[in-house]
Amino acid sequence: MEEKQTTFKPLDPLLHSELRLAVMSILIGVDEADFVYIKSQTGATAGNLSVQIDKLSAAGYIEVEKTFKGKKTCTLCRITDKGRNAFAEYVETLKQYLQIPKV
Amino acid sequence: METIEKNLTTENSLKIIAETMERSRMTIAKNTGKPLILWGCMVAVTSVVIYFLWSKTGSPVWNLLWFAMTAISVVCNIVMDKNKEKAPSNEISRIIGKTWMWFGIFTTGLYLMIWVAYFILRACNPEASIHVDLTLVISLMMGLCGVISGVVMKMKSVVACLVLATALSVVVALVVNGPAQILVFAILGVLGLVIPGIILQNKAKNSQISA
Repeated sequence: MEEKQTTFKPLDPLLHSELRLAVMSILIGVDEADFVYIKSQTGATAGNLSVQIDKLSAAGYIEVEKTFKGKKTCTLCRITDKGRNAFAEYVETLKQYLQIPKV
Repeated sequence: METIEKNLTTENSLKIIAETMERSRMTIAKNTGKPLILWGCMVAVTSVVIYFLWSKTGSPVWNLLWFAMTAISVVCNIVMDKNKEKAPSNEISRIIGKTWMWFGIFTTGLYLMIWVAYFILRACNPEASIHVDLTLVISLMMGLCGVISGVVMKMKSVVACLVLATALSVVVALVVNGPAQILVFAILGVLGLVIPGIILQNKAKNSQISA
């Protein structure tokens, strides 16, 4: 009889954070979103959100573009292919974890 | 969601993903709801106005008011867009936008083609007349566009409203003739646009409150 696999892939530490995961969940479903929209959807503070966006950007999971809307600056974020794959893999790993029968 | 990186459980992670996606989906749904209410009201009011004018004067020329209604609604839509909470676009909002844009192009095109065909025919033969049940055709197209919108937004209640509105409109359009037939659009406006718009708005509000 085949032995049941008990080793699991570790969860991506970059995505395994409440705010970064929420940012990625927003960006996965839209073409692009501005900073104000992400802030309103996550309820995060501007400073905290900015730090987490920088981390995701540094990892290549999202692209950040600074533009102007009239006289105001506008920070646009969009998910990259690398980010999309990482998110899909994260969800798959989560599903794997959830399939373990609880003792 | 503060800087402290909590020890996320797998269940919590999935919950965050599901809730965030749903909240984002609802913001987009809310932005679809307002135009539906606006267009629904405009369609319903215009059809009632045309019905009264057509009944009083006996002339179907009052149907040209549909063009005025379209122009006013487009302006109102633009003003509303400027004031509403900005939601990013995605595949769903694009499908809904394009569906209704093509509905507008098809109905306007159809109307203009019938007028052109009518004038050409009359020029060739003054006795000629064209019989097209425009109300029936537009009702079906409107119902179909509404159902597509409801399906892509995964809103069963919206789909149900549109199916009911279309079925009712088609029956009325087949049974009633003359100026009263135009009241079909009042049914479609209220049941097929205003009510689904209110449903979308309420769902979006409830999802924001529960978040």
